[in-house]
Amino acid sequence: MAKLATGVFLAGLLFGMQAAQAHKVIASVFPSGTAVEGEIGFSNGDMAADTLVEVFDRQGNKIDEIRTDADGFFVYTPSRKVDLVFRADLGAGHVAEASFDIADLTGISGPGSIAAVSSDDSANITVDGAVVGDNATKTAITREQEEVIAAIVRDELRPLRREITAYKEKNDLQSILGGIGYIFGFFGIAYYLAARRLRAKATKS
Amino acid sequence: MHIVDGALAPEVLIGGGVLAVAGLGLGLRKLPIDKIPATGVLSATFFVASLIHVPVGPSSVHLIMSGLAGLVLGWTAFPALFVGLLLQAIFFGFGGLTVLGVNTVNIAFPAVIAGFMFRGLVSRSNPTFAAIWGGCAGALSIALTTLFVAISLGLSGEGFVPAAKLVFFAHIPIMAVEGLVSAAAVYLIMKVKPALLMADARISRYDAQSPAILAEQVNEANNG
Repeated sequence: MAKLATGVFLAGLLFGMQAAQAHKVIASVFPSGTAVEGEIGFSNGDMAADTLVEVFDRQGNKIDEIRTDADGFFVYTPSRKVDLVFRADLGAGHVAEASFDIADLTGISGPGSIAAVSSDDSANITVDGAVVGDNATKTAITREQEEVIAAIVRDELRPLRREITAYKEKNDLQSILGGIGYIFGFFGIAYYLAARRLRAKATKS
Repeated sequence: MHIVDGALAPEVLIGGGVLAVAGLGLGLRKLPIDKIPATGVLSATFFVASLIHVPVGPSSVHLIMSGLAGLVLGWTAFPALFVGLLLQAIFFGFGGLTVLGVNTVNIAFPAVIAGFMFRGLVSRSNPTFAAIWGGCAGALSIALTTLFVAISLGLSGEGFVPAAKLVFFAHIPIMAVEGLVSAAAVYLIMKVKPALLMADARISRYDAQSPAILAEQVNEANNG
């Protein structure tokens, strides 16, 4: 009896945990300052919690490994300047793979980008006619403020990025109807060929 | 259910491809001309079924409808499900093109087995019992598919027993839902067009009469 109860409990546990496995796997990675953020989950919204993510370079050599948190989210700071491939095995034939181009990773600490941004700002302000000099703008934004702004922008963009990922995975009516159309067309051609062959056979005999 | 690209070893992919081609050949050889429309409709059913999500508890499962295809089509389920899988891979990114062969075998072969096991029972029963047997066929084909998926993963280096357990338990809700939907579909077919499930009897009759039918068709074609 106890054995049966354990069995039922285990089955329930497994089924609760793995019921999402029949869906498509989605993995997305995006730059975040000097680190790479990523998310792994299933197309029905279940995220891959506490899953091992392996990091490879383009040649397939393993560089590192990390674990996702409870929301299927992970942050990885690359130690070398190579393009990365993130790979997670979610079991039962579900493998998530996402590649990341290291050139996308600018990092906010790059001095060139800051200079460019502040000079643009000063130009705009002068056009507007405000009495703000070049020096004032440059001193107005310190490194700390820059980092805070970058963090805010990232936080603001995160839901948007998720939405875009979700949107890419959406199957609209067009592609569904298109698929059905292809199927009917294909079997229509098959029908035509079969009918032609039947007729040719009949004329011969 | 759909194994994705990159999850299997190359040998398994090639083996699956060869088996799928064999199954396709067999299915196409056994495809009588009057079965082509039914094949197309079931292929479309399979294609769309994966987009129909049925909520089960906190999560949801999607339908597969391979059992019904096996029941109605027999070996012809191979081409029907292959076309469905191909378009699912292209349009929705389910599975992938390199694993197409393996996925076809994993889904279509169980459908064929379940179809042959239950077709006789279904065609001899009244609609109610036919629905029950149809439901069994639907559930069995999913159960066998999980076994095939586990074998594919086992051959690619994952432990067979843990993979089999994982996949099987994950698909228990699908088996239940699939069984119910297949039963409903079979009940409807038995009420509306029972000839669809009496395939064998019908083919032999067609073959016996075929010279007469063909002669008639040729005349019609000439007239038209």
